[in-house]
Amino acid sequence: MKKRILVVDDEEGLRLLYKEELEDEGWEVELAASGEESLEKLESDSIDLVLLDIKMPGMDGVEVLRRVKERWKDLPVILCTAYPHYKHDFGTWASDAYVIKSSDLTELKQTIRDILGKKE
Amino acid sequence: MEYDIIEKVVELAVAEHELEGKLVKAAELIAYSFGFDRCEFYLWDEGKQVFTLKAHFGGDSNHKIYAQDEGIPGAVKAQKGVFEAQSLDELEEKGVTDRDMEGFRSVYALPLHDRHNFYGILSLKSRKRLALSIKRRHIIRIVALELSWAIRYDELIRNHQKIHSDLAEIQKKFANAEKLLALGDMAATLAHEIRNPLISIGGFAGRLKKQLGPDTKGALYLDRINIEVSRLQKIMDGITGFLKDSALELRSNDINEVIEECLKIFNPDFRSYGIRVIKDFHKGPLHIMADREQLKIAFDNLIANAVQSMEKNGGSLIIATALSGDLVTISIADNGGGIDPRYLGYIFNPFFTTKEHGTGLGLPITNSIVNRHKGVIEVENNAGVGVTFTVKLPRAEAKLPVVLLTDKIAESGPGKFR
Repeated sequence: MKKRILVVDDEEGLRLLYKEELEDEGWEVELAASGEESLEKLESDSIDLVLLDIKMPGMDGVEVLRRVKERWKDLPVILCTAYPHYKHDFGTWASDAYVIKSSDLTELKQTIRDILGKKE
Repeated sequence: MEYDIIEKVVELAVAEHELEGKLVKAAELIAYSFGFDRCEFYLWDEGKQVFTLKAHFGGDSNHKIYAQDEGIPGAVKAQKGVFEAQSLDELEEKGVTDRDMEGFRSVYALPLHDRHNFYGILSLKSRKRLALSIKRRHIIRIVALELSWAIRYDELIRNHQKIHSDLAEIQKKFANAEKLLALGDMAATLAHEIRNPLISIGGFAGRLKKQLGPDTKGALYLDRINIEVSRLQKIMDGITGFLKDSALELRSNDINEVIEECLKIFNPDFRSYGIRVIKDFHKGPLHIMADREQLKIAFDNLIANAVQSMEKNGGSLIIATALSGDLVTISIADNGGGIDPRYLGYIFNPFFTTKEHGTGLGLPITNSIVNRHKGVIEVENNAGVGVTFTVKLPRAEAKLPVVLLTDKIAESGPGKFR
């Protein structure tokens, strides 16, 4: 069975980029444009990993992370952001990994592989 | 007739002259009016705790400075009132020796003071024995009081001027800081807005390149796009790194070790540009509480600037570390021509650069990192020769590694990758 990744980002361009790149790696990709939408998707679909942007209008990534970890304790979440300083934010250390956004997705893909591999 | 002097001194006291000029004039007036051979004003210096001769009339005083308990000034200060002696014998009897009494017989000295402050003394000397009438003593006291006010007035004016110029200086700095803050806000918003589209551009360029295949002309163009995108990304990293206060991970670090690590990266540059590195390190470790990675960025920037200044003609990079009191100092000196004095005032302003591909963020970032470590940077510019940057950081009190709370929390999070 293909692993299914939920990409949560308010930037349309990035959602598309992640989708194409991750599908090339052989994963299935679902998209959500906001925190609220991501929680709806998680209720209805079966998801193996969440790729979560922190800075979003409305419900931000830190809040989504809190709710996800409350409901689906074992669902891995990778936080993705432009700023390294979130690393020390109290809300973010519950995530499984922290990746700084870049147009080079090598590190992100490796991180996803590590986490999904560990789960099996 | 005798009362005339009071009026004259009042006029003098309120006139718009320098204090010293007023006192010299007053000395002359007093000496003439009362038949003294010499009149001197010794003013009290609260900071240095000495008396200094400020003005005099009638011959040269050879004793310009008195300690607080020395000679006639000391005697006046001690008894907080008039001191007089009709002869050198009487002076000796009173236990006062004063080298400046040579050639004189009698002295009449009184304090210059008001209710709160002691300003100094007025000393009147005569070669003869001098009998001063009660009336004259009275007049002299009034004159001394008037002159005390003149001294006080001068002091207040001086304070006022100093406060005024300090204030102007602060206002200037404040206006500058405000400007920088506004600029910073704008830059942060811009950086954020630019960052995400940039990742898209770079990412899709990468995908397109994969589609086109490696040996096509299109792939070449896409490589160029990628190079430019990463350059822009680096600038954005610089701006966000500069503007966002990420938590410092403070640990005890040996500054000598940090500098050695920084220098290592530049070894190829030193070789290819013919730069001689001279290290003058403090013997033994120099510990400071610092975020090692941040500190390395700070020194990398300084070293990179020095290297760039010597790219064309080579030169010497002198790096010295030392301990002075509670401060650890690190100086980085080059002989790459120094900074054009016209630009010296701007070098710590974000986005100011004289380099073709500079971001103008190197020194501001270094400055911000050093400031956040409670340190300062000093610049000694020798235009046409070279420049020395000296970083001063407080030395660590405890030599044990101390870890910030945020670190523990971060490290206790599950499965850390970064």
